[in-house]
Amino acid sequence: MTWDHYIYFAAPALVCWIAGAWISFRSNRKSRAILLTVAGLLIFGAYIAGLWISLERPPLRTMGETRLWYSFFLPVAGLITYSRWNYKWILSFSTVMSFVFICINLFKPEIHNKTLMPALQSPWFAPHVIVYMFAYALLGAGALIALYFILPANRRRIDGKLMGLCDNLVYAGTAFLTIGMLFGALWAKEAWGHYWSWDPKETWAAATWLAYLIYIHFRIQKQNQHTAALGIILFGFLLLQICWFGVNYLPSAQGVSIHTYS
Amino acid sequence: MWKQPWGYAEGWLICCGLFLTGLILQFTTGKVDADYFRYPLNLIGTGLFLILLGILQFRGRKKNSLRWFSGLKATLTSLTSVIVLLIIMGLTRQVSPSADLSGAGGFSRTGFMQMTSSWPFVLLFLYLLGILGLVTLRRLSSFRGKDIGFALNHAGLFIALTAAIAGSGDLQKLRMSASYDAPEWRGIDDNNQLHELPVAIELQSFTIDEYPPKLMVIDNQQGIALPEGRPVNIVADSAGVGGKLLEWDIEVTQSLPMAAGFFQADTVSYVEFHSVGATTALYIKAVNRTNGRLREGWVSCGNHMFPYSSLRLSDSQSIIMPDREPRRYASEVTVYTEKGDIREAVIEVNKPLKVDGWKIYQISYDEHQGKWSSYSVFELVKDPWLPVVYLGIYMMIAGALFLFLSPPKTN
Repeated sequence: MTWDHYIYFAAPALVCWIAGAWISFRSNRKSRAILLTVAGLLIFGAYIAGLWISLERPPLRTMGETRLWYSFFLPVAGLITYSRWNYKWILSFSTVMSFVFICINLFKPEIHNKTLMPALQSPWFAPHVIVYMFAYALLGAGALIALYFILPANRRRIDGKLMGLCDNLVYAGTAFLTIGMLFGALWAKEAWGHYWSWDPKETWAAATWLAYLIYIHFRIQKQNQHTAALGIILFGFLLLQICWFGVNYLPSAQGVSIHTYS
Repeated sequence: MWKQPWGYAEGWLICCGLFLTGLILQFTTGKVDADYFRYPLNLIGTGLFLILLGILQFRGRKKNSLRWFSGLKATLTSLTSVIVLLIIMGLTRQVSPSADLSGAGGFSRTGFMQMTSSWPFVLLFLYLLGILGLVTLRRLSSFRGKDIGFALNHAGLFIALTAAIAGSGDLQKLRMSASYDAPEWRGIDDNNQLHELPVAIELQSFTIDEYPPKLMVIDNQQGIALPEGRPVNIVADSAGVGGKLLEWDIEVTQSLPMAAGFFQADTVSYVEFHSVGATTALYIKAVNRTNGRLREGWVSCGNHMFPYSSLRLSDSQSIIMPDREPRRYASEVTVYTEKGDIREAVIEVNKPLKVDGWKIYQISYDEHQGKWSSYSVFELVKDPWLPVVYLGIYMMIAGALFLFLSPPKTN
């Protein structure tokens, strides 16, 4: 299995997800929407498994490979949110975002090296990155919702139920963000000798984490300031983007980060 | 302003005050000098910090002004100010906290290039830590079962951060370069000072497993791999394998994983060579699919003993073999301790060795000589506060699970 086969799995998976999103939006056949989304995940998951086997290492090393997991976890996050809280538009959101990341991988892959340097050969590698990608997917869904409702035309429609959804996405996202960061610390101790070394990626990860802590505390304190709360979600997600790939381009991080993707 | 009960304005003013105080201290005294903050001073300092928090918490039960410090307004303002400093830190190129910038002048005087040892950062970080401690104590003093997630998250973070800061003075980190000749017991610290250690290492053998050789086409003028931006390669681990590179069909007819090269007329040839210093060479036949032209010859990545060699396909293109990438490198060592223990062990990346409170990491080797390196470089780390930091980290992991499974309720 190589990247040449990607489209043959991604396209049917997307068809399933779009169908699931359509059904969840237009009708009340919840179980059918869930089944279709799960079918899409199985197809997409089969590709990840095949790639993992043929690369002889977890596909988590390059930017393109992390995007692959992101495309997978977005519908997972959407599915959990839909089945638990019944927001019928969430599957459409997650499908659109997943579609965008699938397209980036199809047209700009940056994914060609089969080798894995010794520092990445660790049992911590897979959990660290997978947990982070899942957190990014949840927080990405939160950011999309925040972006939509912070627009002046949509602000009237913000209500307690919507803020409850944002809270839940941020709680779950922050929980996984925390675990991903701490797994990284435990791994760093084994690989580099110290659990925290203020590498540029770590600095931005800390800032991102604190931004979501601010959201959580702000929501307890100022429950009626919805727009400001949505603004914090967007601010946190901006920091997250810098942490995920922005550091690769920041002049302050050139040549000093040990977290560079190739 | 400053009338009870305090609000956000007071919170922002305290943070600004700490920031300005920090800047003034930075301009007048330079960066925070933490050289003396090690055992026993760090233990005493931490004890005093905890006692101070305890007193504040105890007094705060009656005094509103003290209770403000364990509230959400203090939390939000202090969190925001630390984020601001972290963003400045992320946008500014950082240099090692031990580097001396005192004569550099200009922007470096703000201390932002060594953020973690600058006064504004240290003051605001300690302020946030103090607030976190007070919040934790306040909740623990009226603890109920449903507070367990809260307690794990807040106490865990407080314990991890406090131990990390207090322990940084006791952290020892030394580089040691061990060779085959004799045990080495000296290490070099970050400032290139030599230290004698209670642990000695003697190298028995050093090995690198490499990934199979790769073949790529490069542009003769610019030396970049083709196609530009999306280079392709074929993995050539044995004779008989082949593949397509651009418009060429490649076949490997002879594979020498252990080879010696010698000059013959104006080309380089390779023969089998099973000894120290061997390199990798492949004999290749390349056929152009469009015009049927055949090119053949040796391709090798070369090394410190033998020349590198490429196969010229045309005026603009050549086939090369990049240096083989290490898959795994490991050192077999004998470790001696002061107590007289002798141990044989294998140390490799991601698998450090624990001896007498030290962790020994494989970090490097003679990269010029690659797999024939005559020495191996280790890092020895001792961090006596690590178990306390780990306690905090494990509490936070458990706390994160609580945050996911039973999130706090906001209405």
